[in-house]
Amino acid sequence: MAKPLILWRNARTRLVLASMVLSTALTALVLGLVYVTANRTIENETRSVVTAELAGLRDEYERLGTIGLMAAIDRRVKDAADRDALYLLTDAQGNVLAGNLARWPEGIEPGSGWVDLDLTKMSSGEDVSISAASIRLPLYERLLVGRDASARQQLDRVLLRSVGLALLAALALSLLTGWLLTRLVFSRLSDIAQTADDIVSGDLSRRIPVRGSGDEFDQMAQTLNDMLDKIEELIGNLRMTTNSIAHDLRSPLSRLRQRVESLTDPASAASDREADAARALAEVDHLLRVFSQLTEISRAEAGLGRDEFEDVDVDALVRDVTEFYEPVAADQDVQIVIEGTAGRGPGHKPLLAQALSNLLENALRYAPAGSTLTVALANVDEGLTLSVLDQGPGVPDEKLDRLAQPFVTLDPARTDQSSGLGLALVAAIARMHGGRFEARNRKPGLEAAITLAR
Amino acid sequence: MSRRLLIVEDDTDTREFLAKGFTEEGFTVETAPDGREGLYHATDGGFDAIVLDRMLPGLDGLALIKSIRAAGLKTPVLMLTAMSAVDERVKGLRAGADDYLVKPFSFQELHARIEALLRRPQDTEESALLTCRDLEMDLLKRRVTRAGRELTLTPREFQILEFFLRRKNRVISRTMLLEGVWEYHFDPNTNIVDVHISKLRRAVDEGADAPLIETVRGAGYMMSDG
Repeated sequence: MAKPLILWRNARTRLVLASMVLSTALTALVLGLVYVTANRTIENETRSVVTAELAGLRDEYERLGTIGLMAAIDRRVKDAADRDALYLLTDAQGNVLAGNLARWPEGIEPGSGWVDLDLTKMSSGEDVSISAASIRLPLYERLLVGRDASARQQLDRVLLRSVGLALLAALALSLLTGWLLTRLVFSRLSDIAQTADDIVSGDLSRRIPVRGSGDEFDQMAQTLNDMLDKIEELIGNLRMTTNSIAHDLRSPLSRLRQRVESLTDPASAASDREADAARALAEVDHLLRVFSQLTEISRAEAGLGRDEFEDVDVDALVRDVTEFYEPVAADQDVQIVIEGTAGRGPGHKPLLAQALSNLLENALRYAPAGSTLTVALANVDEGLTLSVLDQGPGVPDEKLDRLAQPFVTLDPARTDQSSGLGLALVAAIARMHGGRFEARNRKPGLEAAITLAR
Repeated sequence: MSRRLLIVEDDTDTREFLAKGFTEEGFTVETAPDGREGLYHATDGGFDAIVLDRMLPGLDGLALIKSIRAAGLKTPVLMLTAMSAVDERVKGLRAGADDYLVKPFSFQELHARIEALLRRPQDTEESALLTCRDLEMDLLKRRVTRAGRELTLTPREFQILEFFLRRKNRVISRTMLLEGVWEYHFDPNTNIVDVHISKLRRAVDEGADAPLIETVRGAGYMMSDG
């Protein structure tokens, strides 16, 4: 029983992990973009300052010559408003003329664009990382302007750390929300699983708890519960039918056994044997009839034969079947009258004839001598109705609903030839025609009606 | 001359039971356990009637009957079907069977139906006058007389009597009556057919010295000349 739960928990872990990975990846993407953009902005800022300074110093050189430029650089180094600013001017041979760097960095060709360098500062002797750009002046002096990159690198580190922290927070948060969300979903799912488990272990009456929030889970629970109700009802019917079949077949079978037993008794008289054989044959015929009716019922329930539907003149069919039963009714001193008309409708003619025949046989079984049996036909909104009204004793109200269930008969002794399946077949045929069977007490008498969809 | 019957049935017990029964009734019986062999025997010819199971291994009963008819054989075929549903019977008849019987059946019923099939050609001689002993039925005038005295019959009684007269000296089962006269394919729980017959008997035998319609125990009824 715990097995599905573990599986579900696994599914839950997978879901939480998936949501975590997804949201973390998204956060990482966004933060990475911010980081790259911030870095690039700062770098661009630095570069534009350096470029402007190079241009300014070049102006100075053009206006005042090498000496003027040296003075300007000295002034700028001294002012040192920007401590991160680095300058270097050398002659064509690389001798330092001015600036705060000890020497021209090796391998750097003036005018080769942006470079990142590790150099030694002349004033303090400390090693610095710089970003620099350089140009060659008209007399082959070299000029390099740079910015200490360590400040920027520090900012970079801070930024990186913040991004990392944010990522961690996002990770934790997504774990939490994933866990909460899936707990919501999976607690409802485990309700369903628990109910299903209980039902599997035999408690068919269990239902999925509905929390009253009216959300999708409640709606699904309600739908599943409705389905379970229907299944329980069907299983109940099936169980009852099976029990009834077992019960109902036991008596004819044991009677049959007795007959056959006395047939094999050499002491019994020939005339007795003949009678026993006839009775045994009658029992077998009864059993066969029960089985063929059960088959007919299940075929009708399954809707087999719908392709044989034709346009049926219900009135003519009723006249025919009624006429067929008239001699039996006359023998019982019962009069059959037909009232109203139903017209025509789509139907399975042989089965409809059988349904009416079962209704009439049933009514004739209970109709007292001298009474009238009415076959009432009508064409109403719901469809064609066909009801048989007798003036017999009726049916106890509590049995009305079960009348069309297999093997329900009013007479427990069951001495007649009734199989107890007649009305069950009528109901199945009515359902096959998109209609239903209904029985009502008319005091006196019983009204058994079927409705057929038009 | 002995009549030749072919039985195509896959169930050994049923096949042997039927073969024995029909042999005792004076038939010369051939059997086949499946559709293929059945078709081989059937097309070999010389049979007066064929009893055919609906469900067969190899070649199914419906397919077999279609092949037999396609081969131009007009031998009467009675189909045995385990399915009592009406459409199954209809399918069998549409495929070319002349009659059918739902399993389980009594041997008498099957025998009666086979006899009926064998006599069928004589029925086609349309005569306006049907007789049996001192009973005469004039189909044109819709009149029936017994020993010269006119009988009053309802249309249904007339129809039942005609059914018997056309099948003189043969056993008529209750199911044959239900199907032939009323075209009902169900088995009523009550003894309704017997009631109709006794009503007909009252009308036909009234004032006569011998009953015209005999009851054949366990099988049905018979109207005989003798």
